[in-house]
Amino acid sequence: MLHKTAITASDVVRVEGLVKRYGDFEAVHGVSFFVSEGECFGLLGPNGAGKSTTIRMICCLAAIDGGTIQVLELPAFPGNQAIKQQIGVVSQDDNLDPDLTVRENIEIQGRFYGQSAGEARERAQELLVWMQLESKAKAQVRDLSGGMRRRLVIARALMGKPRLLVLDEPTTGLDPQARQLVWAKVRELKSQGVTIFLTTHYMDEAERLCDRLVIMDQGGILEEGPPAEVIARVVGEECLELSGISEDQQVQLARHLGDADVTFSEWQGEIWAVFGSQLDRLLQRWQTLDSSLPRFYRRRASLEDVFLRLTGRDLRE
Amino acid sequence: MKGIVWPRFSHGAVMVFRRDFLAWVKYYKSSLLLNFGEPLTNLLALGFGLGMYVAKMDGVPFVDFIGPGLLAVTAMNAVTFDTTFGAYDRLNVNGVYESMVTTPLSAGEIVAGEFLWEACRSLLYGTVFFIVLLALGLVHSWWSLLLPLPLLITGALFSAPALFVATKAKNNEQLFYYFSLVITPMFMFSGVFFPLSKLPVLIRDLILITPLVHVVDIVRALILGHPTDSLWVDAAVVVAYTVGLSILPATALKKRLTG
Repeated sequence: MLHKTAITASDVVRVEGLVKRYGDFEAVHGVSFFVSEGECFGLLGPNGAGKSTTIRMICCLAAIDGGTIQVLELPAFPGNQAIKQQIGVVSQDDNLDPDLTVRENIEIQGRFYGQSAGEARERAQELLVWMQLESKAKAQVRDLSGGMRRRLVIARALMGKPRLLVLDEPTTGLDPQARQLVWAKVRELKSQGVTIFLTTHYMDEAERLCDRLVIMDQGGILEEGPPAEVIARVVGEECLELSGISEDQQVQLARHLGDADVTFSEWQGEIWAVFGSQLDRLLQRWQTLDSSLPRFYRRRASLEDVFLRLTGRDLRE
Repeated sequence: MKGIVWPRFSHGAVMVFRRDFLAWVKYYKSSLLLNFGEPLTNLLALGFGLGMYVAKMDGVPFVDFIGPGLLAVTAMNAVTFDTTFGAYDRLNVNGVYESMVTTPLSAGEIVAGEFLWEACRSLLYGTVFFIVLLALGLVHSWWSLLLPLPLLITGALFSAPALFVATKAKNNEQLFYYFSLVITPMFMFSGVFFPLSKLPVLIRDLILITPLVHVVDIVRALILGHPTDSLWVDAAVVVAYTVGLSILPATALKKRLTG
């Protein structure tokens, strides 16, 4: 682990030295992190990083080969009902029941959590209203739009009044309006004290929603911390993107990188990107040079920069 | 024995049953029609058509002989079709089981719920076929009132291997192997159309270790009204099969969902 942090009693999830093997392949090796009560925690990483495997172990859906997971102070293992009773899971795929109506889909979920018929009916009604699905209560799920289906999946995961809500890529494939609505609902849940465990491929989403996050790759943890801290630490606060410059020009400009707090610079296709802090000093320096300054774009550094810096630009298949 | 999972009959299992019922309500008309076309055709074409040439079978008119056998087959098929194709979809296509195990439900409870539902389905479809037999004057005894019992057990019995096959099948086509290699041969050779008494001993013994023939025996004895002591043997075999087979799907499903 890169950054050891004190583990306190109020942790909702506590993962220590977690290992998962598939035959000879070690999908997760020695991962440790924690999720505090009431926070929104992000688990990020490219495809094949070990995220889904880790989530499955936390949700008591897969066996643990090494290390421990405590969820709500209970040990996680496949089929631990005491944990499953207190968590809600939104999985990557829309696995709504196509043979049931919208209302039946979430009512029966309440029954699976042991609620009485009346209790489940009441809670389902509340959640349908809250997720703006009430007018579709009698519809078949196949008649819903992608955004509605997603909202229904989230509503369903809330039927059991979970203390921990696991959201595995909750907005993949949604249009901007639907994403905004999901984000608003996640924030609302957080304000109600629900602890949220999120995975996503959208770095802007993680940056907006997460109080703290972990970036994983190849079964291990690369970085951990609040988004702003991680960004500042790994790439710096801002980025200058210079386009239309020759390599000679770049070599000349690069001589002055020491004038600012530059973390690194790299070619991204035709663009030369410089990351760091106090980059205005660098700009001032460059302006004093003879040659005219090339076109540049100055922006805040983002989690996406961190992600690509840590996990590389190669495609993961 | 480690790794073996038994069906778990609990509140959760009853809720899985409820889910199946809610789903069935939406398509029961087409489902009833589909499940009756074939046995009814068999009954009419073979029973009354072929029956004109075959005077008696085992001492009773041919149509009276095959009626109860077809009832047992109707129950078996109603359960087998629904479980194989339905469970295959719930497991591999639309993720219904996957979603269920994220709730407090276990694989054992899902399987138990399916058993409960298929037992009821068997009772339901068997009873409708019974009404057809009644209307055609093919029911001869008050012993028939005991039919719900063997029908319920038959439902659970045949849903177990079907669910197991659905769990193990790699694609939809493999489900048909189960029909052509197991269900259809059982249907043809389990004493539905002809008694086993005249078959060579070896073949008869081979047939007697399969389950359907015992269900047919029980159903026929109750409908024709001549129960004998050998029915206890039939009942014991049916119950043993039901209990023994029940560990197959629960164990396989648990491995699939939380392996």
